[in-house]
Amino acid sequence: MTYSLLQGLRVVELGESVSAPYCAKLLADMGAEVVKIERPGVGDQAREYGPFLNDQPHLERSGLFLYLNTNKQGVTLDLETPTGREILGGMLAQSQVFVHNLHPTEMDRLGLGYENLRAHNGQLVMASITPFGLTGPYRDYKAYDINLAAAGGICEGLGSPDREPLTFGTPEVGYFAAMAAASSIVIALLAGGGQHIDIAEVEAMAGIYNGPEALMAVYQWRMTRRTGHHALDFPYPNCILRCKDGYIFVGSPEGRQWRKLLEIMGDPEWAKEPRFRNRTTMNNEYADEVDGYMEEWLLQRTKAELLALALEHRVPLAPVRDFGEVRNDESLADQFVAVDRPDTGPVSFAGPPYNLSGQEAMPPRPAPLLGQHNADIYCGRLGYTKEELVKLYQTGII
Amino acid sequence: MDQNDQSGQSVGAGPLSGYRVLDFGWVLAGALPGMVLADMGAEVLKVETHQRMDYMRLGRPIVGDEPDPEQHPLFHNVNRGKLSITLNTTKPQAIDLIKELVAHCDVVIENFSPGVMDRLGLGYEVISGIKPEIVMASISSNGQTGPLRDLRAYAPSIGALAGLDSTMGYEGERPLGLKHAYADIAGALHSVFAIVSALHQKERTGRGQYIDVSMLRATVATMGAGLMEYEMTGRVMAPKGNYDPVMSPYGNYPCQGDDAWVSIAVRTEEEWQGLKEAMGNPAWCEKEQFASRYSRLENRRMLDDDLAAWTRERTAGDITELLQARGVAAIPVMGAEDRLFNPHFRERGLYADIVHPSLGAEPIYNIMWNLDRTPPSIRRHAPLMGEHNRRIFGGLLGMDEKEIARLEEDQVLW
Repeated sequence: MTYSLLQGLRVVELGESVSAPYCAKLLADMGAEVVKIERPGVGDQAREYGPFLNDQPHLERSGLFLYLNTNKQGVTLDLETPTGREILGGMLAQSQVFVHNLHPTEMDRLGLGYENLRAHNGQLVMASITPFGLTGPYRDYKAYDINLAAAGGICEGLGSPDREPLTFGTPEVGYFAAMAAASSIVIALLAGGGQHIDIAEVEAMAGIYNGPEALMAVYQWRMTRRTGHHALDFPYPNCILRCKDGYIFVGSPEGRQWRKLLEIMGDPEWAKEPRFRNRTTMNNEYADEVDGYMEEWLLQRTKAELLALALEHRVPLAPVRDFGEVRNDESLADQFVAVDRPDTGPVSFAGPPYNLSGQEAMPPRPAPLLGQHNADIYCGRLGYTKEELVKLYQTGII
Repeated sequence: MDQNDQSGQSVGAGPLSGYRVLDFGWVLAGALPGMVLADMGAEVLKVETHQRMDYMRLGRPIVGDEPDPEQHPLFHNVNRGKLSITLNTTKPQAIDLIKELVAHCDVVIENFSPGVMDRLGLGYEVISGIKPEIVMASISSNGQTGPLRDLRAYAPSIGALAGLDSTMGYEGERPLGLKHAYADIAGALHSVFAIVSALHQKERTGRGQYIDVSMLRATVATMGAGLMEYEMTGRVMAPKGNYDPVMSPYGNYPCQGDDAWVSIAVRTEEEWQGLKEAMGNPAWCEKEQFASRYSRLENRRMLDDDLAAWTRERTAGDITELLQARGVAAIPVMGAEDRLFNPHFRERGLYADIVHPSLGAEPIYNIMWNLDRTPPSIRRHAPLMGEHNRRIFGGLLGMDEKEIARLEEDQVLW
């Protein structure tokens, strides 16, 4: 789905993998015109990451790439060459925003710092998304998703006490950096443009995501310790348990929800024991035992039955759904939209997570083929002739 | 105009100075967008009531044994920079005052259960009737419409429903569930983006905007790799431990010390060579099973074991320095205290010490969205309940002291 809140905004993206591409996708889905720059011949790393349509590896069939790059135009450009950088300068002169996730050492090497780029456009808003930021002792450190999750606070609390800490099942940190960058870009535009924004992916996790933890350390709360499927210092239940056909999240932050849940379960005798009166004690000291009592009841019911009970009685039960179940959830059907594209045919993607009043949501354009819009952008927008375009291609610049 | 923030640093007015926000957001997902806008310089009026206090104000006290709404550290984090006014929405006069305030605001944020604002007579129709160019955002678990609208759901419920939990766990074992409020943050940050985009539209066209954000949909939007796996191949993912389809080694490895771990990830051949060199080219690296990127993926568990035998003899800090010096991605698994005292995060200012009247100096995280010309900043400690009633009802709405006192007595400002 495409909205028009940012109509007229011109954005150049130099992005790989998740962070800068999702940032530019957020802008594109709001109506900005995004031109994505990729390396000639190979393109964005996400093109080789997959998952590939019917398991046929192909630069144009990577699901992650197609998802993160809908609604963009795509050009190829070799920024290792002075000519390539000059062309980039020409594009920036006609744009308001530049977002990239080059590593700081690459930015330096290619001369793509803000001071150099703003020479082309004094009002340019540039967002640099890097692993650890543009300053500080770790500036030049490398990181992939697991490293960012490890330093950012995800891993320490995920797993069993005596086993290795775990991370997300799929790359996620980049999405948080992307949301920070996209919001910051629009905020900078509201303040008149002409700014450089420094977003560290690790801080997208460590800051707004789990910043309050510092206080937990100070006050010695323990909720983020690795304790398997239970969390310490919460009132029981707050965990994923087994049910007839899979797993179900069971929570009850409010006392009345717990009482209701027990009522639905037929007011079992075990729940009347004095040692279970304090639910935080029950969680911290008897969780495994109580899991057993709970599962005895849960294992006789399916996820769908439990969800129906949750809706009827307003108690927080939620099925742990796999991605097939998510995709086929009718209540989410209008979030997904099919996009047709050469090399794949129609493929469905999640659209933006907001409904906007009075906005006519336009169907999205498919992610660009590698270099698909070279002629449109280089000739149509920047004024290169067809002959020059051919030369740029023959010399490997585009 | 420049002013000093609490740490004494001179801070600018912020990129969103001049905007005023009426913030009904509470707990976490609803409170965060207003927090960001406040750090960015907007004047954010947090609307609260003793009738139903923000859950974040409840909970066990840090000092003493009596419940105290001014003592919750999480509340202090996510409401810093805001001004608090108390309005008891069970009183018709409070609703009238809210409508008066709307006329002075640019943004309204709320995350009550769907339908509550309409029931209070404060739905978008009413709000936009007062001020057509207003931007109003409603944040909810599962959207304002649809079959899951009334499901009682919290961040962990949404993590389960969105598929996030289905891939997190040890290989072949049960899903564990995240301990952090992923869905709240995903919902809140998408909301911030939509709100500022709507302000951009307003500045350009004068149009107002209603925004309905679902935390479930926001979480789903970040499930790119998992959803696409199903879409492209028909397969569903299950827990695989620390796993990446194109990287090996990829994991958290044991180190010297108590429960100390280092994360290491290798993608390219160049990085593999760097890792070998950093370890002093041990013989096991030359095993046939580790000869190519492909074979290292195929034999990932064997490689994990060999690498763990090496990491176990060293500290996470030493390993990080050794590997990073050769261009290999490595960093210790950090806890909250590790980050609080880490030289990198300290230099970048991840935390600021903010003095709160009830608990003294506390480390409050900064939003690290570093706009170089107009950086965000924490302008004040989280407000006490109703701390700014006089400033807003007197200063902004022009009510006199007698009237304010009467409304307090009648539990309208309450």
